Amino acid sequence: MTIGKEGGALERSEHEGILPAPRSGVAALITRRSRRPKGRIYAGIRWGGTLVFVAVVVTLVVSLVWQAAPAFRHSGFSFIFNGTWNPDTEQFGAGVFIIDTLITTGVGLLIVIPVGIATAAALSEFLPRRLAAPLSTCVDLLAAVPSIVVGLWGLLVLVPLFQRDVEPFLQKIPLLKHLFGGADLGSGILLAAVVLAVMMLPTMVALTRTALQGVSVADREAALALGGTRWQVVRRAVIPGARSGIQAAITLAMGRALGEAIAVALLIGGGLTLPHSLLANGTTLGSAVVSFFSEAIGVQRSAVIGLVVILLAFTTVVNIGGQLFLRGRASTRRGAPVPDDFSPDTEVVPA
Amino acid sequence: MKVTSGTARDEPSDLLSAEAMARRRDVVRHASRTTLRRRRLVGNGTRIACYVALIIALIPLVALIAYTIERGVHGLSVAFFTQAPVPAFVPGGGVSTAIIGTLIIVGLAAVVAIPVGLAVSLFLVDRRGKLAATIRFVADVMSGVPSIAIGVFAYALFVVPSHHYAGIIGSFALAVLMLPIIIRADEVAMRTVPDDLWDAALALGARPSRVARSVVLRTSLPGIVTGNLLAVARAIGETAPLLFTALGSTVFETNPFQPMDAMPLRILTDGTQANAHLQTVAWATALVLVAFILVLSIGARTFAAYATRHAR
Repeated sequence: MTIGKEGGALERSEHEGILPAPRSGVAALITRRSRRPKGRIYAGIRWGGTLVFVAVVVTLVVSLVWQAAPAFRHSGFSFIFNGTWNPDTEQFGAGVFIIDTLITTGVGLLIVIPVGIATAAALSEFLPRRLAAPLSTCVDLLAAVPSIVVGLWGLLVLVPLFQRDVEPFLQKIPLLKHLFGGADLGSGILLAAVVLAVMMLPTMVALTRTALQGVSVADREAALALGGTRWQVVRRAVIPGARSGIQAAITLAMGRALGEAIAVALLIGGGLTLPHSLLANGTTLGSAVVSFFSEAIGVQRSAVIGLVVILLAFTTVVNIGGQLFLRGRASTRRGAPVPDDFSPDTEVVPA
Repeated sequence: MKVTSGTARDEPSDLLSAEAMARRRDVVRHASRTTLRRRRLVGNGTRIACYVALIIALIPLVALIAYTIERGVHGLSVAFFTQAPVPAFVPGGGVSTAIIGTLIIVGLAAVVAIPVGLAVSLFLVDRRGKLAATIRFVADVMSGVPSIAIGVFAYALFVVPSHHYAGIIGSFALAVLMLPIIIRADEVAMRTVPDDLWDAALALGARPSRVARSVVLRTSLPGIVTGNLLAVARAIGETAPLLFTALGSTVFETNPFQPMDAMPLRILTDGTQANAHLQTVAWATALVLVAFILVLSIGARTFAAYATRHAR
């Protein structure tokens, strides 16, 4: 692996290098035997940093759950399943927010999965390298644009566009028009989903591209030798070979969309009832935190932190899934070196 | 068999009449031609569809950058960089508060997160087994934690007990956000150090600390610099962690223990106002912010490419 490749994309560099360190047994032995003061200082630094990191993670979870506990005690299970959020009557149910979160993320995924995979295929399979490399960088740079700028752009450019052109057009499509009932507000669930798709796209493309490029040349050549066209090679050999990586791309992009708060808060309109169509206003978990947090006091503040806990649980589950998919790819990819975990060295020098 | 092989030309067959042979030959030719046509059609069709998808993917980037430049460039002036914000309907003013705030908040976050991240990745890089694998996994999952959750966490940890918003609490939130990214980027960079180099240094009698400093860090420095720059670029554009911690301010503030303004916060407050002047300020701020981030990320990439080309 070259350094340039690691630095190629922020999203990518977070997920590469999963294989454990290829350290030889001798080195590890010497490292462990060190008893001299300087060795102790060095070990102290390493252990200290690690403990700080672990402490931060543990504190994050504990303090959020701690602060949310009054709300959970107040509402019990209805906190998750009830759809009414009314601070005046002290009713706190996150049901609507959870459903809106799932709908916006789901619709966003419906847009980004085909576009993302096709873009990654164009970049890694069809275009010549000289053209693909700068275009890949461009797509990666989209990830660098802050979400607040994307959100504001959506508010000032996409809201009028949706209101004037897109939504009336969608309402004319037969069959589908029932999905798009109601007034053309511009802002709403559909717009939030589209903007989430824009935000998911760089993650999706970068990870899918890496996965497609990881498929071995032998697999491609075998498919070509069987008489496959270029497309058939991609369809039958490359995409199935990269399946685990593509699943990882989808889940990690999904994690990003679930947790996006500010941009969604600007665009989704803030409806508190169950959405009757994709054009309706809504409130996701993240946007609810942004909208309610500042005014909230007492149990309501605790309830808003409870929303954060639910959001954290969702994204953690999704991200664990994504990481497992990534690791699955690393250990089962044909032709890849066997991970160090499985080498007999592990037995010789237990870490 | 012989008939469908396509090599059979005009020799008469024992089994079939010339007429039947010709008929079969036509069938085969037709079939192969349509198959070929279909293969070409599907192949070209899907390839073009992929190109279209690529163009669709590039539209938002181009539109975003173009719009930001178009709206923001009018707002740029000397006063924009040197003056504090003014209330709506008052002409003039600038976002010096937000620029200095972002620099202080992100700078403090980086000063904390970079060394800690380096220590953790030094811990991880030559370690196998369950503990290291778990920490690695936690870091990977942590890098997907929503930034709003980190902001609320910093609020719950510091603002609740102290009853006070402060820029340094925002720094803490951003440091938590950057840490997992830095850990993984550093470790990946350190992995590129060849085993032989470690072993050679150890064989010369160097202590592990000496190996880490003179061999590992020196060899992997370009990768580490790149990874850290990208982490800073990510943190600089985050709004959610600062919303409930640094809070925002309209006075020039360099004391991190006071509420501070930051560029993303300024974009959020000004951009959502129905006031042309404030919107121009917001877009000019967005332009400066995006320029900051693009310089950092492109700089990181260029540096990585340069370092790779000139490595050893």
